[in-house]
Amino acid sequence: MAEKSKIAVCWLASCAGCDEAIVDLNEGVLQVAEAVDVVFWPVALDFKYSHLESLGDQELALGVLHGSVRNSEQEEVAKLMRKKSKVILAFGSCACFGGTPGLANFRSKEDIFEWVYRDAPTVVNPDGRFPQTKTRVNENVLTLPEFYDHVYTLEQVIDVDYYLPGCPPPPDLVRNAINAVISGDLPPKGSTLAQRTALCDTCPRNKTKPERIEITAVRRIHEVEADPETCFLAQGIICMGFATRGGCGETCIGVNTPCRGCFGPVPGVDDAGAKALSALSCLVKAGQYGEPRKLMESIDDPAGYVYRFSQPSSILGRKRRERHV
Amino acid sequence: MEAFDPKVVCFSCDFGWGYVSGHNALSPKIENWIPVTCSSKVDSAYILEAFEKGADGVLILGCPEGRCHFEDGNFRTEKKVYLLQKVLETYGIEKERLRMVLSNNPGGEEIPGLIDSMKEVLIKLGPMKTR
Repeated sequence: MAEKSKIAVCWLASCAGCDEAIVDLNEGVLQVAEAVDVVFWPVALDFKYSHLESLGDQELALGVLHGSVRNSEQEEVAKLMRKKSKVILAFGSCACFGGTPGLANFRSKEDIFEWVYRDAPTVVNPDGRFPQTKTRVNENVLTLPEFYDHVYTLEQVIDVDYYLPGCPPPPDLVRNAINAVISGDLPPKGSTLAQRTALCDTCPRNKTKPERIEITAVRRIHEVEADPETCFLAQGIICMGFATRGGCGETCIGVNTPCRGCFGPVPGVDDAGAKALSALSCLVKAGQYGEPRKLMESIDDPAGYVYRFSQPSSILGRKRRERHV
Repeated sequence: MEAFDPKVVCFSCDFGWGYVSGHNALSPKIENWIPVTCSSKVDSAYILEAFEKGADGVLILGCPEGRCHFEDGNFRTEKKVYLLQKVLETYGIEKERLRMVLSNNPGGEEIPGLIDSMKEVLIKLGPMKTR
């Protein structure tokens, strides 16, 4: 019997929701386990980095990495996985675009440390101690990874072969991606393994979208009882579907929640947030001079809204990554 | 130390600005000038890319209230500029680096002066930095 292909799954700056997404294949996981050897998956099984180091270069048929890169340990593991894998799959929104951890780029490292270790009301730290990369304890030196002053997407750190977005990616796309690698039936390098059109194209509410949307009041989803059949934008609720790649299975829409943009930009678009801002400016009713401004003021935190999953890969977000990696 | 000379990228609507003089006559006099068919043609990504590629400020010249050739293009841009200013501030960039003027000047001779007055503001702010 031919030797089974080896795959590895590892998390970087990630919540493990992506690991959960793989487990959500349910019995499909068993089929995957039949077809391949999972030789490294720290969240699910007890592996150490030394197991990964002991593999030959490019011995892994597939390296699945999820999470963004925020510290030196994550950078090291990402580079090690790259060395050991024939194909690297950036799995989930954090690896593809930076994800919600990327919103931390709106603050400096110092701001974050001061809040988390000193100023937050639940913190008691009278000596003002902050984590250090090296601490001497008796005769020993204890080390911690270095916390970078920026969150990076995976492709800003290593060469990535394929992208599978989503927070987390849905099981059908996970299954397709793994099958494609096992069977060798892969699209050109650099492809995103999801549909090419915007979410609106497949949204079940699309048929209720009026000819011309004119938002006269911006509402947030928790402030209103949204109609479960009608286009969110027609109800004045900001939905990112128009600027977001589809393929997610419209799970958020299905539970009456507008799209947040976790699938990132459609092909050909560099910065989905910028496109969303342009589109929003057109959807809000023009009115009289000065009037639109009042309406726009009612949109809370537009940067956080349109870059919820993509700050590190946004045009201005990537401008600032001249360092480290 | 060399004095800071800010780079300003100026987009202007062809229906309101410089259409009497024409592009060929005005281009040599205005640095980094991008005439467009309507100010609403200026996508948010163009503005952000200008900053990415080294602009210290972006100036958009649109048509006066009620005189957009396409009905409400200038208002759309006004809304876009407002949202982008908020976004810039979140990135730690001063909102004064993005300015829109709603007026018209068929000869286009006022454009260099508007750029200069923006430069004065930018000199006080210093070179563009993101947080």
